[in-house]
Amino acid sequence: MSHFLDRLNYFSQPREAFSDGHGVTTGEDRAWEDAYRDRWAHDKTVRSTHGVNCTGSCSWKIYVKGGIVTWETQQTDYPRTRWDMPNHEPRGCSRGASYSWYLYSANRVKYPLVRGRLLKSWRAARVALQPVEAWASIVENDDKRREYQQVRGLGGFVRSSWDEVNEMVAAANVYTIKKHGPDRIIGFSPIPAMSMVSYAAGSRYLSLIGGVCMSFYDWYCDLPPASPQIWGEQTDVPESADWYNSSFIIAWGSNVPQTRTPDAHFFTEVRYKGTKTVAVTPDYSEVAKLSDIWLHPKQGTDAAVAMAMGHVILKEFYFPDGGGERSAYFDDYVRRYTDMPMLVMLKKHTLPGGEVITVPDRYLRASDLDGSMGQVNNPEWKTLAVDQAGEVVLPNGAIGFRWGPEGRADQGKWNLEAKEAHHGEEVKLKLSLLEGEDPDTETARVGFPYFGGIVTEHFSNNVQKNAADDVLVRTVPVRRLMLGKAGEAVEALVATVFDLQVANYGVARGLKGELAAKNFDDDTPYTPAWQERITGTPRDQVITVARQFAENAHKTQGKSMVIIGAAMNHWYHSDMNYRGVINMLMMCGCIGKSGGGWAHYVGQEKLRPQTGWTALAFALDWIRPPRQMNSTSFYYAHTDQWRYEKLGMEEIVSPLADKKLYGGSMIDYNVRAERMGWLPSAPQLQTNPLQVVRDAQAAGVDPKDHAVSALKSGALKMSCTDPDHPSNWPRNLFVWRSNLLGSSGKGHEYFLKHLLGTSNGVQGKDMGKEEARPKEVVWHEKAPEGKLDLLVTLDFRMSTTCLYSDIVLPTATWYEKNDLNTSDMHPFIHPLSTAVDPAWQSKSDWDIYKGFAKKFSEVCVGHLGVERELVLTPLMHDSPSELAQPFEVKDWKRGECELIPGKTAPNMAVVERDYPNVYKRFTALGPLMGKVGNGGKGIAWNTQTEVKQLGELSGLVTAEGATRGMPKIETDIDAAEVVLMLAPETNGHVAVKAWQALGKQTGRDHTHLAVHREDEKIRFRDIQAQPRKIISSPTWSGIESETVSYNAGYTNVHEMIPWRTLTGRQQFYMDHPWMVAFGEGFTSYRPPVNLRTTAGIQGTKPNGNPEIALNFITPHQKWGIHSTYTDNLLLLTLSRGGPCVWMSEDDARSVGIVDNDWIELFNINGAIAARAVVSQRVNPGMVMMYHAQEKIVNTPGSEITGQRGGIHNSVTRAVLKPTHMIGGYAQFSYGFNYYGTIGTNRDEFVVVRKMNKVDWLDTPVSGQPAAAAHA
Amino acid sequence: MDANLEPVNASVSLRALASLLAYPDKQLRAHLPALREALHAEGALPASRLAELDELAEWLSGAGNAADPSDELEVEAAYVELFDRGRSTCLHLFEHVHGDSRDRGPAMIDLAQTYEKAGLYLAPGELPDYLPVVLEFVSTQPPREARDFLAEMAHIFNVMYSALRQRQSGYAGVLGALLDLAGETAQPVEFVAEEPLDASWSEPAVFGGCSSQGQVGPGQAQPIQILRKDGLNRNALTRDAINTGVSA
Repeated sequence: MSHFLDRLNYFSQPREAFSDGHGVTTGEDRAWEDAYRDRWAHDKTVRSTHGVNCTGSCSWKIYVKGGIVTWETQQTDYPRTRWDMPNHEPRGCSRGASYSWYLYSANRVKYPLVRGRLLKSWRAARVALQPVEAWASIVENDDKRREYQQVRGLGGFVRSSWDEVNEMVAAANVYTIKKHGPDRIIGFSPIPAMSMVSYAAGSRYLSLIGGVCMSFYDWYCDLPPASPQIWGEQTDVPESADWYNSSFIIAWGSNVPQTRTPDAHFFTEVRYKGTKTVAVTPDYSEVAKLSDIWLHPKQGTDAAVAMAMGHVILKEFYFPDGGGERSAYFDDYVRRYTDMPMLVMLKKHTLPGGEVITVPDRYLRASDLDGSMGQVNNPEWKTLAVDQAGEVVLPNGAIGFRWGPEGRADQGKWNLEAKEAHHGEEVKLKLSLLEGEDPDTETARVGFPYFGGIVTEHFSNNVQKNAADDVLVRTVPVRRLMLGKAGEAVEALVATVFDLQVANYGVARGLKGELAAKNFDDDTPYTPAWQERITGTPRDQVITVARQFAENAHKTQGKSMVIIGAAMNHWYHSDMNYRGVINMLMMCGCIGKSGGGWAHYVGQEKLRPQTGWTALAFALDWIRPPRQMNSTSFYYAHTDQWRYEKLGMEEIVSPLADKKLYGGSMIDYNVRAERMGWLPSAPQLQTNPLQVVRDAQAAGVDPKDHAVSALKSGALKMSCTDPDHPSNWPRNLFVWRSNLLGSSGKGHEYFLKHLLGTSNGVQGKDMGKEEARPKEVVWHEKAPEGKLDLLVTLDFRMSTTCLYSDIVLPTATWYEKNDLNTSDMHPFIHPLSTAVDPAWQSKSDWDIYKGFAKKFSEVCVGHLGVERELVLTPLMHDSPSELAQPFEVKDWKRGECELIPGKTAPNMAVVERDYPNVYKRFTALGPLMGKVGNGGKGIAWNTQTEVKQLGELSGLVTAEGATRGMPKIETDIDAAEVVLMLAPETNGHVAVKAWQALGKQTGRDHTHLAVHREDEKIRFRDIQAQPRKIISSPTWSGIESETVSYNAGYTNVHEMIPWRTLTGRQQFYMDHPWMVAFGEGFTSYRPPVNLRTTAGIQGTKPNGNPEIALNFITPHQKWGIHSTYTDNLLLLTLSRGGPCVWMSEDDARSVGIVDNDWIELFNINGAIAARAVVSQRVNPGMVMMYHAQEKIVNTPGSEITGQRGGIHNSVTRAVLKPTHMIGGYAQFSYGFNYYGTIGTNRDEFVVVRKMNKVDWLDTPVSGQPAAAAHA
Repeated sequence: MDANLEPVNASVSLRALASLLAYPDKQLRAHLPALREALHAEGALPASRLAELDELAEWLSGAGNAADPSDELEVEAAYVELFDRGRSTCLHLFEHVHGDSRDRGPAMIDLAQTYEKAGLYLAPGELPDYLPVVLEFVSTQPPREARDFLAEMAHIFNVMYSALRQRQSGYAGVLGALLDLAGETAQPVEFVAEEPLDASWSEPAVFGGCSSQGQVGPGQAQPIQILRKDGLNRNALTRDAINTGVSA
């Protein structure tokens, strides 16, 4: 048959293949492209940023069409940097770029939700009762209370209305204030810098009603106590652009490309200039790939590496062999800017073998000498040195010069000029007592505590062969002085910090009969050879890096930098890690130098307009002082983690200390610290503070006098002595801008058990009868479960914390509210802006708390009026109270001293609260700003002009009542303007005033730093137009200028402003009695502590699979910011789609785990279920779980607990350190988010094994109503 | 049902179904008898479906079965658990199509413009892809357009229907009714509890079965392997919905 008809005559075959059959033309529907075209057809773009807990602070353009956010792109209009510097943009990362997805996500909280069982009781009670009585009827009935408490975390929410939830919250607050006291109302919100108005909304409400604002920085364990210890400053760091000015950078435990994504370009760009980069991380991390050298000491042993590097630096640049010269730059720097020349007293100590040595005690003070060096003002707080002639001299700058009455003789001498304060002449201090002296000058055998020999199961040690293995005896040049009044004088040995420090590092300097390292290969502390046995790092690498680091600093005058990450800070002995590293920087003259210094970028995000913000945030315009609490101690006590303490004091005290004086349990130290006014308390007194004042009034005595005598007699008790007593329970907790229970809650399972009273995975038993019980704290046989009456969480997404809450409130997202945002990584201030109205029923945090305030003011009538109450505050840093306790530690309770508020005990203040006017006060700027003024960090200025201008800008309150005629703070923008107007960083006039105020203390003129920007006033609309660079202010130690990038310590070095420490200088030595007792006068290496969390459980609950105990490390992840984005399926897709844990190939093989297996991690604290990622990246001995993976997505049940597998904090428990509790002592004084106990968690071990059965727990709990199951 | 048949007018039924999917607060509960009456009166749905819907309404009203009357807050809690949390039973349709992706915003804008072309402007407080919004819009359309509009969404209804059935929820009846009105049959999509999570993550061997010419299996067509997407969506539908309570 013919094929003629098979062929088409008039049509050709258009689809011809090309490129050898690999290519083909198709004509498929291309309508999908319209979506991309339409993106550019937006109605408007709005500038906003992401108020998330990263340090990014990136400017974004939000595209809006028809009231719907379609997408976001990076803004590229940052002000240019100066010539020869790369620009900041584009800033942003994959996480920020996916934020618009969150707005309409199914996981968004859309309506006010209330736990059904609670709402049922509430509605039933409200039928007959008024709100406060209704609340009372629920929480005073234990059955009703437990009914909803024990289903926390088990679903059962119903929608409510704003009216109803406002009334519940107000009623609960009023009831709690009336019944228990306002300090039983607690608020937790972190990182104010990420959205400072939203933070201020809650803290302003709490501060007005007398509630407590909780710290975050210490609790997150991002607060490095070493920073206040050394500098009297909490985390001031260079901006990321300053990396570009450096020529040698060590990234030490900081994974720059992963966790500082928008800034990492400076790190790469500077390498093109020839800068050398070194990474120090235990795993082959992203930053390791980026750097020239990768050092990988075993996790937790970094301090040993740092000590060895310090040894190399001291040896080669201070005492070079073969007649080499000391670095003149280093010598001059440490002489002027550190405590190296300061004199330290030595005291006798008898070693167990009977040998008598001396040990460093405290700094010599002016008051120790006859005549006190002519000082009338604070001679106990003025440290001494020796001049070139060998005379004891009083250098300017010690903290004693900082405080005192106006017009005093030593005013204006608080500076770092090289002058003698007594006679005002130029002085060059001696670094070493040997300087210019006969080398035969007397030496002494001085002992230093040594911890490197401690035997631990999982970490190698380095035992020394000395007489006593735990004491290093070294040779130190000394001098004899006569101390005390003429006639009663006694002889004392003194040495300089420099000479002691050199001896502690074991550096040989050619003394006769010297006890020191012979060379770098001598295995004695702290040589490169010595550290090898502990860290596993080859000595050559340590020597090379240390030598190059110092050589670079020597040649460039300090342009060597260490970028350090929280990984280093999360160890129990974090201070050793940090001090070891910071010592290197100080010895090399890098602090305060452009391109050099200490760059700790961890979760603090410098709140640049801080002093403008504190007024708004803590309602300082109405009532002072506010209540603030250190979270770590609070949660340790109130989640009853102290009842499970396994770390004994004898394990951490110095071998040179009198162990009899340092017994007891961890919490005893915290109680003493609160009693002596070192740390804050919350709640404060077991009696309602309103009642304390009423009792005093009834007795006709001053409330403070009443409190003092009642505390002494025991009639009044501090709450800290009995945290389990119902009168001392925290009752209402607000959580906002935070995922306390899904992310930061160390000891997660203890939170669930004791604070919330719901199902939990705690495996261990508390200490019980047989074990050493705390001495200062009342022991209850059964620990309470369910202390909290009410947990309220504000969030835009249904986080783990929301699931455990009683009331969940929908907040506006970062594209739906107006706010301010700053970072430590760059000097710009950003807005968050309302691109679209808050979706569904959500509201901004400002409006939510305003709503509470309004309802509170109505509901309180008849219960609370104008009330007076007693507020306790600790001896605060940057206030005259920091000069409270100059010498020994004395406890009034033990009869060692009188109880004097503000001196030997907390400060006491009677404050007045106008409860029915809480709403009016919330929405107006109160009178104290005009009357008392504003200030911060120890300086104060008048702010009347700014108050007036705020009234002109935002308008005055016109309504009748308590606030008429005051500036309005009605909206979130009004609130932002308060911050911007009052802060020196955003108002040039204020900046000049602030520098003038500081000049009074230093006796120097600093106004040139701001006067060129005096007329600049940055407004909210300005920053919406373009991010603005802030103005230099004395709140910070760096400056904004066209010649240098922001760098911490810059004004200390260049403006001669003292560091806010005892000596006024950067301190190598810490002489507080507790620092010495716990072996940290000088820094050293201390191995991780043994928390004993695997011993009781390993092998006791077998599932047939082999088990292995591994160190539990929780770094920051790539595809989320903490828990945010970990519920985003698309970002989850980029990792394993749910919780996962990294482990080494060797460890995995040893227990039969292969990649992607379901594994369980557990110890006596709880359990985690996750996927295994088996990788060469990880070294044996540890597992890494990126922290804060929510347990709400793809998390199966645990075989151990029977509950859903927990979060990373399910296997942790907070452990305190006494040195972090010190107070009333110069830089060792409490400040909110400045100093205090920290929630360390890296010393933790977990048992790891493969799971047998993966149970998704997707059937209803028996006895619980099934979700919509019927028919 | 034959798609060629002239569709019945179901506008009242659609509004009633939209209301049934709304939050079961006091106000809605008060209107339940009227809703039931309207559904029966219009008769657009088969009798068996109407019986299911009656049962749902009964339960919503707090009557339930006489031995164990449902608590009104329990009904509300069940609603929150089903529809205010999680993805697989989410009432916002684009959750099922676009999830947390960039395409969602443009899709919503398109939908809102569809409403506007019909002269209907969405009031504040809800998104255009909220199922009751969509149903209310459909109820204003002529029967044929209404049916076609519903038919376009039938695959989503089917997924939701199956997810609700799996949870033994009476709300499945509403989705079943929508499928009826779309001229489709409710077909439960099978959910496999555990395997897909792993299966969707295991990548096929790189060259298994496919080849460049001259290597294994010359002449064979290269199979196109589209990875993940399907599996991922299925995971999204199963896993996260399971984790509705934290401690179970």
